[in-house]
Amino acid sequence: MGERSLLNQLIDALRCLPGVGPKSARRIAFYLLERDRDGGAQLARVMAEAMVAIRRCTRCRTLTEHDLCALCANPQRDAALLCIVEQPSEVVALEQATDYRGQYFVLGGRLSPLDGIGPDELGLNMLETRLRDEAITEIILAISPTVEGRATAQLITERAARYGIRVTRIAQGVPLGGELEYLDSGTLALAFAGRRDVV
Amino acid sequence: MPTSAPLFLAFVLKRSEYSNTSLLLELFGDTSGRIAAIARGARRPHQHTSALLQPFQPLWLACRGRGAIQTLTTIEEVSPPLALHGPALLAGFYLNELLMRLLARHDPHPALFVFYQATLAQLAATPELETPLRHFECHLLAELGYGLTLERVVDDGAPIQPTQVYTYVCDCGPCYPSERRHGPLVSGATLLALAQSAPLDATQRREARTLLRMVLEPYLGGRPLHSRELYRHWFAAHHLHES
Repeated sequence: MGERSLLNQLIDALRCLPGVGPKSARRIAFYLLERDRDGGAQLARVMAEAMVAIRRCTRCRTLTEHDLCALCANPQRDAALLCIVEQPSEVVALEQATDYRGQYFVLGGRLSPLDGIGPDELGLNMLETRLRDEAITEIILAISPTVEGRATAQLITERAARYGIRVTRIAQGVPLGGELEYLDSGTLALAFAGRRDVV
Repeated sequence: MPTSAPLFLAFVLKRSEYSNTSLLLELFGDTSGRIAAIARGARRPHQHTSALLQPFQPLWLACRGRGAIQTLTTIEEVSPPLALHGPALLAGFYLNELLMRLLARHDPHPALFVFYQATLAQLAATPELETPLRHFECHLLAELGYGLTLERVVDDGAPIQPTQVYTYVCDCGPCYPSERRHGPLVSGATLLALAQSAPLDATQRREARTLLRMVLEPYLGGRPLHSRELYRHWFAAHHLHES
């Protein structure tokens, strides 16, 4: 009985993973137990360690096991550029996709007055300290183009203006491989307004 | 073959993520009132419904389901979203928070819906945000059956005089000021302007703000409005920058 309940516990625990329902959880549990115990043990060990050791970078609020994340600690990064994103996963996506060599700041969400997420929850005071104390010349907003994202961007722009810092945001428009016919009119209007010379 | 559900006009009041690819929405519809609905798969890549399902975007929607939470079956835009920027955007959030707090689900308020739409348009068009907000609060209270007494003195039923000052007693109405009565002092002109949805000058805006804050308070359940805090925060930051 005890053995069976441990198996059930494992299956239940696996369900905390995103996109994993009861069926997938059962499949993963049996796979690990029957085919890859070493992998499972390794996963458990790393997971236990990561859950305790990984916290927020004291400078950019991304996830790291050190006080300063690798990006903040790297003296080669351009300290004059600061890219502001919502989630740590977006730092990784930008690092892989672009040749951006500046610094980051992770908000951890976006302004959502109806959920009680305000400037304090997004670490805007911490951001303001950086704007005041560091030689930042440009802020790049890489925030989702939703209504809440727009409100967040406005609040940051307001604060940056106090220190005379230029604020830009990443372009918005037609996705690569997208078809104009199927775009919503808001995106299409933005894409049209933000047209550029063909080089 | 199921018959297709009727379309209704609606605005998203609040959206949150639901499971991996869906959105959970609080909607305010013209015929439906406030309802909760799920937009399945709206967060999948290349789905443009996520762009539409945002606050301040007039929508045509259809739902199915009978439970507390329905499922959206049709999503179409009526017109481009209302262009709210800066403080107007925060004012828009404030309207949404008021509706979320004060409207019960499945309680239609078609007249309030029309007024909500008109108020959003006003917020987008004028830099003076307080007047539309105060008028909306008055209409909201009236729709809910807690309407303010604005044109008659409670004591004797005499018409409100624009040049007189009255004490507005909560749950009662405007009274002749006396030491026994507690409540904000409000000029007759302010009360009449609120009654007629007429423009408010600076003094009237201040009086109306104090009055409506006091009247709304009991219906908000003792919890502060987050968007009001944010509004205050924004203005504090703005004045600091300006000065």
